Amino acid sequence: MKGNAIKYDKDNIDTDVILPGTYLKLHDYDELAKHAMEGLDPDFHSKVKDGDYIVAGRNFGCGSSREHAPIALSYSGIKAVLALSFARIFYRNAVDGAFLLPIEIDEDAYKSISNGDQLEISVEKNTIKNLTKNKDYKMKPFSELIGKIIVAGGLFKYKP
Amino acid sequence: MPQTLFEKIWDSHVVVESDNSPSIIYIDRHLVHEVTSPQAFEELRLNKRRVRRPDLTIATMDHNVPTSDRSLPIVDQISEVQIKTLEKNCQDFGIQLFDIKSPYQGIVHVIGPQLGITLPGTTIVCGDSHTSTHGAFGALAFGIGTSEVEHVLATQTIRMEKPKPFEIKVVGKRKNPHAITAKDIILSIIRHIGTNGGTGTVIEYRGEAISDLTMEQRMTICNMSIEAGSRAGLVAPDEKTFDYLRGRKFTPKNYDDLVSQWQETLYTDSNASFAKIFTIDVSNIAPQVSWGTNPAMVCDVTESVPFPEEYAKGNEDQRKAAEKALQYMSLKAGTKMTEIEIDRVFIGSCTNSRIEDLIEASKVIKGKNVSSKVRAMVVPGSQMVKKQAEEMGLDKIFKDANFEWRESGCSMCLGMNPGILAPGERCASTSNRNFEGRQGTGGRTHLVSPVMAAAAAIKGHFVDVREMDLN
Repeated sequence: MKGNAIKYDKDNIDTDVILPGTYLKLHDYDELAKHAMEGLDPDFHSKVKDGDYIVAGRNFGCGSSREHAPIALSYSGIKAVLALSFARIFYRNAVDGAFLLPIEIDEDAYKSISNGDQLEISVEKNTIKNLTKNKDYKMKPFSELIGKIIVAGGLFKYKP
Repeated sequence: MPQTLFEKIWDSHVVVESDNSPSIIYIDRHLVHEVTSPQAFEELRLNKRRVRRPDLTIATMDHNVPTSDRSLPIVDQISEVQIKTLEKNCQDFGIQLFDIKSPYQGIVHVIGPQLGITLPGTTIVCGDSHTSTHGAFGALAFGIGTSEVEHVLATQTIRMEKPKPFEIKVVGKRKNPHAITAKDIILSIIRHIGTNGGTGTVIEYRGEAISDLTMEQRMTICNMSIEAGSRAGLVAPDEKTFDYLRGRKFTPKNYDDLVSQWQETLYTDSNASFAKIFTIDVSNIAPQVSWGTNPAMVCDVTESVPFPEEYAKGNEDQRKAAEKALQYMSLKAGTKMTEIEIDRVFIGSCTNSRIEDLIEASKVIKGKNVSSKVRAMVVPGSQMVKKQAEEMGLDKIFKDANFEWRESGCSMCLGMNPGILAPGERCASTSNRNFEGRQGTGGRTHLVSPVMAAAAAIKGHFVDVREMDLN
């Protein structure tokens, strides 16, 4: 899985900036995608490319339980969010609907990755390769439940 | 083995659990609203599934409903579609709905306890992060996303990894309990433990300062557990809890038997251990006001807007965050909090829209007028709260002071219905989130208690409400 990093050097990126409340009325996922990250980065929609990754600090996705947040990112083309930590509801929403991978990274990886770096992620090996900087990072492995839901392709496809 | 209250509730709801597989937890009550449910119902239809327990599922509309005149049609057609969709879904799947015309309509976390749907020792979920509110009754209650809503509708269970118990001990006696409110206690807690201090845990609020609180005040505390990262927060039930729920619309018929059972089981064993402990003494806390863009960026009303370096205590990320927050909030470090002028006041939301909140706020404004520079509104949490307040004449006090007196709903808490801030407007708000754009693009939110909001409405800037006569 290869893509470019869109980096926000910021903690506490909340669901209200990921998908502002006014768009919670929309049902069309492609329409939601047009407003992804609008509260933080109004240019996001014009610059994001299919397969990109978001890189951010601690407590990504804090706030509301709106699944519209990972949906908007997913339909923008974001395949994974790499963050120092995640708020739990966002984390589960991302995985349950198979919208994107919430990947926990460490401080070294966070500091090292720059905006625009090309990354290659291997969930099987728990590794992230920075192809631009020729560096390897570890990602925190998924817990058993989360790993199984991811492999199955979402909560409803997971059969224990 | 000694257990915490949370662990007891968890264990009594486990459907399947083994050492190396995640748990399946039974859900006793599922609350549904218009915003996070449409996709879940749509998927049920596509997969030809039914709602497993419509009798344990209850719906209302709160996020998206206008809080202006209800006799008028809804102007926003997209909103109307969302509201109509919930009506149809409830009809098709046999779910009880308190719609926009119902005397029981209101914010889902306000009506749950008011109707006696929220009960001690139960598991409660809702597609809303502030479901933690119901923990005030000793329930394990947490917010879920739409996929999980669908899962609960279809199976009445949820798959979950077990969170860890977190004890927050709240000690001391508040000197002026009318001025220093539950909101000030929870804002102080979040200020200390941070927005992710509770991540992965269920908080149990304990101690004399919690026992002292009324049920509605405990709801304010549990409501904001999610702002500290905890999906759930709870308080062990006591006589106040049992009294509050007695004789309500859905209170079970064998209530006294249930109370006896709860008294025997619903408490944390004396030598149970918590994964994390935090203690706070509230005997000397001041009214709290948020200055930044998350609910941990809070200070005393007697303080000044902090300098980013001072706030960060050497942490570079925190310094940058504070700088950015001040820029967004258009505040200069060193400005006295009491010198910050406001444009709007919002008294409402699932945090602070209950009858006691309105009573306390009305004491501040009685016989006074809202500053000519301020537009202020009161949005009761439910039609039941509104009715009770009107019977007490509170509506008159608010209206006489030039407050708008609205219909019930989430209103200006989340910027999705017509109640929003204009860009650049500054609001003293009794809600729960001061995120950028939360109450409308470019809007600036300061989180405060209802009495602090009321005082700010009159003066046009923040004031230390302890200086006002609240008795």
